[in-house]
Amino acid sequence: MSGGKEDEENDRKEHKGSWGDFFWNPRTQEMMGRTFKSWGLILLFYTVFYAFLGGMFVLTMYVMLLTLDEYKPTWQDRLTTPGMMIRPRGESLEIFYNLQDTETWDRYVQTLDNFLKPYDNSIQVQNNDNCIPDQYFIQEDSGEVRNNPKRACQFNRTMLDFCSGLDDRYYGYQEGRPCIIIKLNRVIGMLPGRDGQSPYITCASKREGVTLGPIQFYPPNGSLNLMYYPYYGSKAQINYTQPLVAVKFLNVTMNKELSVECRINSNTLVTGNQRDKFAGRISFKLRISA
Amino acid sequence: MFEMGGGVEVKGGKKTKKEKKKERLEGVKKEMDIDDHEIPIEDLEQRYNTNVTTGMTSTFARQVLERDGPNELKPPKGTPEYVKFARQLAGGLQCLMWVAAAICFIAFGIELARGNFTCFDNLYLAITLIAVVVVTGCFGYYQEFKSTNIIASFKNLVPQQALVIRDGRKDTISAKELVVGDLVEVKGGDRIPADIRIITAQSCKVDNSSLTGESEPQTRSPECTHENPMETKNIAFFSTTVLEGVATGVIINTGDRTIIGRIATLASGVGNEKTPIAIEIEHFVDIIAGLAIFFGFTFFVVALFIGYSFLEAMIYFMAIVVAYVPEGLLATVTVCLSLTAKRLARKNCVVKNLEAVETLGSTSVICSDKTGTLTQNRMTVAHLWFDNHVHSADTTEDQSGQSFDQSSETWRSLARVAGLCNRAIFRPDQEGIPIPRRTVVGDASETALLKFTELTIGNIEQYRNRFKKVAELPFNSTNKFALSIHELEDPLDLRYLLVMKGAPERILERCSTILIKGQELPLDEQWTEAFQTAYMDLGGLGERVLGFCNIYLNEKEFPRGFSFDPDELNFTTSNLCFCGLVSMIDPPRATVPDAVMKCRTAGIRVVMVTGDHPITAKAIAANVGIISEGSETVEDIAIRKRIPVERVNPREARACVINGGQLKDMSSDELDDALRNHPEMVFARTSPQQKLIIVESCQRLGSIVAVTGDGVNDSPALKKADIGIAMGIAGSDAAKNAADMILLDDNFASIVTGVEQGRLIFDNLKKSIAYTLTKNIPELTPYLIYITCSIPLPLGCITILFIELATDIYPSVSLAYEKAESDIMNLKPRNPRRDRLVNESLAVYSYFQIGAIQSFAGFTDYFTAMAQEGWFPLLCIGLRGNWEDTHLQDMQDSYGQEWSFSQRLYQQYTCYTVFFVSIEICQISDVLIRKTRRLSVFTQGFFRNKVLMSAIVFQILLGNLLCYCPGMPNIFNFMPIRGQWWAVPIPYGILIFVYDEIRKLGVRRAPGSWWDQELYY
Repeated sequence: MSGGKEDEENDRKEHKGSWGDFFWNPRTQEMMGRTFKSWGLILLFYTVFYAFLGGMFVLTMYVMLLTLDEYKPTWQDRLTTPGMMIRPRGESLEIFYNLQDTETWDRYVQTLDNFLKPYDNSIQVQNNDNCIPDQYFIQEDSGEVRNNPKRACQFNRTMLDFCSGLDDRYYGYQEGRPCIIIKLNRVIGMLPGRDGQSPYITCASKREGVTLGPIQFYPPNGSLNLMYYPYYGSKAQINYTQPLVAVKFLNVTMNKELSVECRINSNTLVTGNQRDKFAGRISFKLRISA
Repeated sequence: MFEMGGGVEVKGGKKTKKEKKKERLEGVKKEMDIDDHEIPIEDLEQRYNTNVTTGMTSTFARQVLERDGPNELKPPKGTPEYVKFARQLAGGLQCLMWVAAAICFIAFGIELARGNFTCFDNLYLAITLIAVVVVTGCFGYYQEFKSTNIIASFKNLVPQQALVIRDGRKDTISAKELVVGDLVEVKGGDRIPADIRIITAQSCKVDNSSLTGESEPQTRSPECTHENPMETKNIAFFSTTVLEGVATGVIINTGDRTIIGRIATLASGVGNEKTPIAIEIEHFVDIIAGLAIFFGFTFFVVALFIGYSFLEAMIYFMAIVVAYVPEGLLATVTVCLSLTAKRLARKNCVVKNLEAVETLGSTSVICSDKTGTLTQNRMTVAHLWFDNHVHSADTTEDQSGQSFDQSSETWRSLARVAGLCNRAIFRPDQEGIPIPRRTVVGDASETALLKFTELTIGNIEQYRNRFKKVAELPFNSTNKFALSIHELEDPLDLRYLLVMKGAPERILERCSTILIKGQELPLDEQWTEAFQTAYMDLGGLGERVLGFCNIYLNEKEFPRGFSFDPDELNFTTSNLCFCGLVSMIDPPRATVPDAVMKCRTAGIRVVMVTGDHPITAKAIAANVGIISEGSETVEDIAIRKRIPVERVNPREARACVINGGQLKDMSSDELDDALRNHPEMVFARTSPQQKLIIVESCQRLGSIVAVTGDGVNDSPALKKADIGIAMGIAGSDAAKNAADMILLDDNFASIVTGVEQGRLIFDNLKKSIAYTLTKNIPELTPYLIYITCSIPLPLGCITILFIELATDIYPSVSLAYEKAESDIMNLKPRNPRRDRLVNESLAVYSYFQIGAIQSFAGFTDYFTAMAQEGWFPLLCIGLRGNWEDTHLQDMQDSYGQEWSFSQRLYQQYTCYTVFFVSIEICQISDVLIRKTRRLSVFTQGFFRNKVLMSAIVFQILLGNLLCYCPGMPNIFNFMPIRGQWWAVPIPYGILIFVYDEIRKLGVRRAPGSWWDQELYY
């Protein structure tokens, strides 16, 4: 027993003594337990080893990237139902502002200005085609020959009417009748409607018994015309203009938080996924203080 | 100055306290020092206020009882069950897990404080860690509980009674109430109720084997024959049994003050040694913890450098440290050990403490008790000398050995004497039991002769009936012979036959003729010399020798009806005819020599430590191979060279026999020297304290010591040993309590099995740990890259837990079923200072080579899955901020598509799953390479380990279940991934396999080379 204890103590002593030696042991010419030659060899070994591994990784990545299609993702497993989004989106999908305080809503106006700039009629006419409404604008490739770049249909800012920001520079914010622009996420090849029926957007209050008051949709009925589909990807369809739907709340109860849910109504898209609260729908909050 | 002085004093005070404790223990270790056996009886009467005829007065006895307490051993303080359970939760790995869990709680607390109410990963992790510790703790506890149950022997509940004389009256009272000074009477079959000094005795013999290891019955008589109380004949010890005769004596010690009580105290005072595997695991935990902190700190600095806030960097630090904890390892180690324990139990080795499973494998010295461990603890006829030849009898337990030529006429006479001049008889109703195992009433040598004659000439009872006994004189210590007179078998022959046996020299004195080949020849000088040589030879073998003779009494002098008076000896007792010698020994068990040999080839030294006499000990040692053929002791050399013992160079002698007396005078350095210089050691006449000293000395020399024993006298040494092995059948409760392992069949050869299994599990644990550690890196690197490159998280916490605790457990356990790579029983025991369970090269190879390959496999698959779904590798870098923004529902991928948060989250889960699958595929390759460390897997047999194969199948099936079972995405974050992604890591799996085969080839081809040094683990 006593022997064991002594041994332990000796060990500890040795350990302490060797702690300094660990970094540089002048007796054996060792730095951190190895001689320089040994360090050199082991570093060389690992350099070669990792160079090989890294090479293999780069090679497999390269091969993998070669297999990818430039224009269309290999799989779209997660995108069966497109998400939806609003503009302005606020901090966290909350649009709160004070009528009296110009600054509180001015940023929303600016966001919308920026967002709608590409939709200016002049730009649209310059870049995009005037398509035939209510039918898909299909531009298939013929076999190996790419039909690129693909054309896109015009979505003119004027189509948003009172929410275009052209007549009413403040999109109704200063008078308590704000416009909120809703868009459906872009998904390559998605066909959102059948039989010439365009999908349309509806909005409702999430809380029962609370009404949103009258709502106006632009374009009328809040529909997203089929001619804007399918989408061919940012590379093939450089000038693609995403169709929008503007919602104007005409008579909002002041000083009250409204929970609004807008959803897409389509005869091809499945909505109502319990898990994804943003698949084919969007919820946001609106409060206007006076 | 003053303060300093104070400090020193406090320190000094502490030291003396420690020293005092040590001294107390040393005091117990010292020999018992009493003189109660030396002083005249009158002094004894005075000392204890008693009387050797009338006993004490009952009033005084009551006073003494009040003073000394009852005469019983304080039950050993059993470890309370909750302490046993707590011990299961406090091992090295367990502590690591507790610390990790605490860190998780802290990290979770910080997250909560920062207002992040969604991230429960840390909480889950903490709970899982605790659950793992508790569950494995329960498992280990249950295992130990089960083996303790096997061991737990039924305590003798019947209170012992003792016949005491008080106030001149005999009275039977409970032995508990006996006090010092009481006069007690014991007779054959009784247990001695306390340490007593014998006052009167009639042919009283006691069995001291459990206390001293002497296999022969010891005579007890009133004379003081030795100054050492352990050696003197006038003291009988508590708990030994009286074999025959009667005696009265005065109690000199009761309860815990008796010899047995002192030994018990000694055993409980001896600290338990840490098992080698526990030391290894601690060493391993040190490595892990060191690496974890190193990695954590490095990335803490990196994170700060990148621009994370201190708090965030701190959380990362903690997460990395926790990710380094191999959650599954504890379960793996526990299960592997209990598998081996189970395997051992099937071979009759029951292990009380799971960790002790491995200890035998590391053992380099076995200190073995002789009686009952190496020997059968049963006197057996070993040799006979007749017709001027030494014949060997069969001493094997199952009578499978060679017998001798029984055709000689002399043999018949000798057998007749042996059969007739014998009072021992079999207990009735034992027909079904093999003869050697039947119980016999009679003393040890007569028992041996009875069994021997029963085996050689058949039913001895009938044989005795044919020769009607007319008179007999039992053996006594003054005559040193026994005789009996019988009528002859042939009713017409009216002569009487006198048969006699006894100490050979006494028998020879009475003989004038000797029987050679059936012829009665005069006993001349030549025959006397031949007799002397034979007697010396047999005695030199450590055997107890008896001489036999007979005579046909003259028909005329002693006609039928003559009344023989054995006390007066009114008949011829000289000029007899000498038949031969029979020698007896407690023979070694049949399996022992082979087992000792195997231990030797396995580099394990077997040292005999016995309480028995040196000659017997040496003879048995030579017999079983502890002293190998051709090895000489100093004394042997002296005799051979005809020089005095002092002039012999002790270094020439391989063997050495040291007895207790010599040992007493040796300093511990001298003992160390002796153990160092003589490879073959026998310690004889050792006391329990000395056994302890011998074990300590071996441990001082850096050995891992196993002690085998069965008696109370072995218990302190059993406890002190790194592994104490007690005999299950012959073993006393004290021995079993102190031991770590019990041999249920008392078979020393089981130890060899234990060694083999211990070594195998050590090797296989190494493999299991290497396998388990490897995946730590591919589990950690995703997080590191996540922090540094801000890619979406490739591998989640729950997924890691599934790898650690579900899919990879079975394969890692299956490595415990791997066969040994080489003949492990031909290797030296591992050096506990050098051959570690987990050494640097194992960790480095697993982490930085195989682990690295696995990480690359994971990332290849991750980037593939991301790219194919629309997120190109270069886009992924720096993506994290937006990716994790729960309000961003229209994030653009490389193709211009927009993703909602949930879609991204499920994509992240897909990445988890893909990474998981990559690790699984690589781990399949990993488990295959871990089958061997040196040999090619193909040499070892690719499919030989069926358990491993089924483990791989299990792993794949479980992986598939996790991936494709509905509901998994939302419960455990597993996504049904595309089949192609299973194939992506396969090239890396093949790389692992090929690379390891190359490594092994290099290790085999160039032993000792740089490659071997750096890459062999």
